[in-house]
Amino acid sequence: MQLKAGEEIPELVKHPTTRQLVQYAGSSGDFYEIHYDQDFARSVGLPGVILHGLLKAAYLGQLLTDWLGDEGQLKSFEVSYRGTDVPGKPYRCRGKITRVEGSTAELEVWGEDEGGNRTTIGTASVELS
Amino acid sequence: MATATVVDRIKEHVGKPQKAVTATVEAGHLKRFAEAIGDPNPRWLREAPPTFLVALAPTSYHLDAAEEYGKGWLNGGNRFEYVEPVKVGDTIAATTLVKDVYEKTGSSGGLLFIIFETEYKNQHGRVVARLRGTAIRR
Repeated sequence: MQLKAGEEIPELVKHPTTRQLVQYAGSSGDFYEIHYDQDFARSVGLPGVILHGLLKAAYLGQLLTDWLGDEGQLKSFEVSYRGTDVPGKPYRCRGKITRVEGSTAELEVWGEDEGGNRTTIGTASVELS
Repeated sequence: MATATVVDRIKEHVGKPQKAVTATVEAGHLKRFAEAIGDPNPRWLREAPPTFLVALAPTSYHLDAAEEYGKGWLNGGNRFEYVEPVKVGDTIAATTLVKDVYEKTGSSGGLLFIIFETEYKNQHGRVVARLRGTAIRR
């Protein structure tokens, strides 16, 4: 795989649903009510149930591992949650190569809501095999 | 002020590792997790996807004292560092400690930040991954 700084990697569009939030709660053990109880979510000032931050991190992880395939390994991965996202709306994951040095590369990754707002931003470092 | 004592009480935990949480990576759990995140890659039937370790061994940094602050939790961010792949059958021990705690005043009131770090070791005693997280109480 030839990497060049400035290049975008193939995007990944996810379609989270409330069913998926319940599946994620069950398989991750994160039973915080803001992810499946509409009344509770509103009682703490949210518009309704919201996506788990770590679910959005998992989406960005998939963006990276889909792109890498068996040609490299993820060395580190960092995300910062800047906004809340709700189920029923597409979530667009994107990434761009920012630096290439030998067999390692650094990327900027982000997740966008329907309006194009970057509600999750992050970086990743990969090593090509 | 009540909020100051919350910060002070959490400060007492800074740097003290909590009891390790140990769990074995099961094929069925991996499959359910991959379905939950909607990632159909067959690789995740035998290997842990990037964020799986948090689900495998949830460690508690939700200190009781913090629950007295504000109304709810927010996840501020996560940083994963990967040392070696985690496979089905591996037994992972997760050890978490609070690294830092501080308070900030935002436009809608006070925010409490708890920075925690988790180290994951496999059955051979080797570190396989590290996680740093920011839990926010508001």
